[in-house]
Amino acid sequence: MKARILVVDDDEALAEMIGIVLRNDGFEPVFCADGGQALDVFRASKPDLVLLDLMLPGMDGIEVCRQVRAESDVPIVMLTAKSDTSDVVRGLESGADDYVPKPFKPAELVARVRARLRPGDQKAPETLRIADVTIDVAGHLVSRGNDRISLTPLEFDLLVALARKPWQVFTRELLLEQVWGYRHAADTRLVNVHVQRLRSKIERDPEAPEVVLTVRGVGYKAGS
Amino acid sequence: MVSAIKQVPEPADRGVRQAIATDTTQAIATDTAPDRPDTVPDMTPDRAPAESSAASTAKSTAEPSAPRGPGKPPAGGGPGLWRGYAFRTRLWAKRARIVGVRVARLVRTGMQRLLPGIRYLLRAVHRKWRRSLQFRTVLTTLLLAIGSFAVVGAYLSNQIANNLFQERLAQAESETRYNVKQVQDTFDGAQVTDQSSVITLVYDTLNAVEGRGSVIQRRYVFEAMPEQTKPRNRWVESRASDQLTIGVIPPELRKAVQDSGKDQYWASTQFPVGTEDRPGIAVGNKVTFNGTVYELYLIYDLNTAQKTLDEIQNVLLAGGALLVLMIGGVAWYVTRNVVSPVSHAAVVSEKLAAGQLQERMVVKGEDEVARLGASFNHMAASLQEQITQLATLSQMQQRFVSDVSHELRTPLTTVRMAAEVLYDARGDFDPINKRSAELLYNQVERFQSLLADLLEISRFDAGAATLDAEPTDIVQLVAHVIEGVAPVAAEYGSAVTLNAPAGSVVVDMDDRRIDRILRNLILNALEHGEGRPVNVSVAASDTAVAVAVRDHGIGMAPAEAARVFDRFWRADPARARTTGGSGLGLSIAAEDTKLHDGWLQAWGSKGHGSNFLLTLPLRRDEPITKSPLQLEPVNVGLPVAGSQRTVVLLDPPRTGEAPASASGARGTMADGFTEDFAEDFTGDFTGDGGSGAVGGATAEGGSAGHRETGMEGRA
Repeated sequence: MKARILVVDDDEALAEMIGIVLRNDGFEPVFCADGGQALDVFRASKPDLVLLDLMLPGMDGIEVCRQVRAESDVPIVMLTAKSDTSDVVRGLESGADDYVPKPFKPAELVARVRARLRPGDQKAPETLRIADVTIDVAGHLVSRGNDRISLTPLEFDLLVALARKPWQVFTRELLLEQVWGYRHAADTRLVNVHVQRLRSKIERDPEAPEVVLTVRGVGYKAGS
Repeated sequence: MVSAIKQVPEPADRGVRQAIATDTTQAIATDTAPDRPDTVPDMTPDRAPAESSAASTAKSTAEPSAPRGPGKPPAGGGPGLWRGYAFRTRLWAKRARIVGVRVARLVRTGMQRLLPGIRYLLRAVHRKWRRSLQFRTVLTTLLLAIGSFAVVGAYLSNQIANNLFQERLAQAESETRYNVKQVQDTFDGAQVTDQSSVITLVYDTLNAVEGRGSVIQRRYVFEAMPEQTKPRNRWVESRASDQLTIGVIPPELRKAVQDSGKDQYWASTQFPVGTEDRPGIAVGNKVTFNGTVYELYLIYDLNTAQKTLDEIQNVLLAGGALLVLMIGGVAWYVTRNVVSPVSHAAVVSEKLAAGQLQERMVVKGEDEVARLGASFNHMAASLQEQITQLATLSQMQQRFVSDVSHELRTPLTTVRMAAEVLYDARGDFDPINKRSAELLYNQVERFQSLLADLLEISRFDAGAATLDAEPTDIVQLVAHVIEGVAPVAAEYGSAVTLNAPAGSVVVDMDDRRIDRILRNLILNALEHGEGRPVNVSVAASDTAVAVAVRDHGIGMAPAEAARVFDRFWRADPARARTTGGSGLGLSIAAEDTKLHDGWLQAWGSKGHGSNFLLTLPLRRDEPITKSPLQLEPVNVGLPVAGSQRTVVLLDPPRTGEAPASASGARGTMADGFTEDFAEDFTGDFTGDGGSGAVGGATAEGGSAGHRETGMEGRA
């Protein structure tokens, strides 16, 4: 079955080009040129992934991202002409899993899409623990005591990666490779922002983390 | 100054010493004793015999040689006075010395505690002196005024004291002459019958000398001459007024009286009255009673004169102090009027320089200062106008560039994707279309990197670049970058080596930017390295870390090194753009470094390669004072291509002795290839530049000694 991808971009030429590339690689693109209608199209088409331009008429891409994220865990990849730190971070904080700065290569775009669409490893029944948080890998469940914690797939992958090797300190590059699927060095801000988001969900006190610890100058590791 | 104020003459003689000895300051009395021989030659009686004969005959006319004793014949007025000053001076010097010692002790004990405070005060005064024209002027005026008043006061005080003394002396001398004559007349006319009546007569006569009334006008000392040729009159003994002894008479005066005939001499002295010592004049002569010669000294009190003088001096002092203060005040007021507009101008111009362009001077009146203020304001206004114009212009320009870059990105993305699709399908095209697709693809690529750099630069220009710093291991980052450029290095046939003895250095930095800087530097080194190795060294100190990228290629002249960070600047415009760099790489690197408060320096030498040194502060709040690495390599003058060179490897056991051998080797090694070089640049340099040889040497070097050389030998 072809994965359906919603492309939200107001530039028709670019959207068409993206469509050509995606179709070429076996995806099924759906288009939307207006931010205001993006949510309706999203609900109607039920895509497996959203490619979202940040600068949109009608509604800001960041707002669209927030609304989509509010009702779905579908992976969102931003397309951005601005690589300013603040814009990228704002986009990631509003719920995007990854971003591709313009101008991008077709291969780069496809790689990012594929990485987010990974069906997930064949998950054997497995239960992991970090601090007082329990992770049911196969059931995609995270809980503290009886309370369920809701995570996006990306945040879940990030937590599992850390929890599988609690003795290891993960550099940001290593996490980019394992969780995001980057083979080459990419923007480590992705990791920073997602770790912040993960912490805000699973830590009792995000200011004093116990589950995801920072190792100064190196990266992150799981709490004990 | 002290002597000038306290100059009523006092004797420096034994009498004084005794008198002072009864005083509390015994130390002074004993201290003065050794000084006495100095004064003796100057004392009155020594000169008295010589002058007295002339004086007695010539009476009051013969005074040209004695300026201070205008009225009276007896010599010694001047020297006596002088002696008084000298004594007073010494006395005060001694007292001052004792007070000084005590104060010094006090100061010394207090110093330890007060020293920082005093130093601070001194520094503050010094700073004020340097920085405040007004302070300097007022202080100078005050000092000069004090000096002038000291001189004038000394002169006035001296004159007054002199006149007072001379007046009293003249009076004393004439009174003495009269009284001695009276006594002598009484003695001459006395009937020497029995002892008691004689004694009564003599003593009554002498008591009469003291004067009538309750106030003693003069005191006397009546003493038999020690060596009498005739048998002494045993009936009349030596005698003196209350509390007095012969001791109050200076011996020099006695000697002069004894040695002369019937001449009258005087000397300054000090005598006890009650519990205090009073300054006085002793005038001596001889009287004869019944054939026995007696010395008769009359002592006149100078106390009232001294008091008058003290009062005058106090008034002088108070008046002088007041005047000095007033002069200080006047100087302060006047200089303030002149200086305050100037300092106001200084403050305003400082603010202007700091960017507060709306600052203006306050203009009042039409004088020179007002003209200065008006023209200053005029200047500031035109300056502000210019700067605002420029700022608006550059802001507009920056926004334009930024907008253009953004607007270009979306279509560029489409073009790029299309180009890539065509490029991927080029196998199906005929040769012309195929080549076109390739050119399109490559040039779009280049266009895109140029645009990215342009956007980056415009972001710096707009001040929109922010630092996203966090602690990161720079050695790991350098290794990462070297790994990343390996394909390019292989293309050039250069080995990129890493020498990082520190192993791991955690720096507060924005790793994206540092990554970009290092990538730029290393790619630049590879591009200009002529296939020779590129050495990357990392070193750290307590506050800074340095990364040096050294190539041994074509190098550049110092003038070129200075311009290398300029935008779109190329050392040799004719040189082929092999890597397709935008010409903005090093400019962006410089901006990135600036954002980190770091240093980026370039060194080059024609034919000897170049060296780029990046220095970053370890922590954001600590500025760099010195780079841990040196910009100019130690071994510049190495032979370049063609010559045989030894590969010097640095293995761990030898690192300890490396500095010694290096310094020895610098001058002696025949091929000039010292271990310094090896130490600086990982020691895997081969002359013949073939990639195989380089790789081999590198591999050996890596295995031989370096902890952090994992990235070597990728050529």
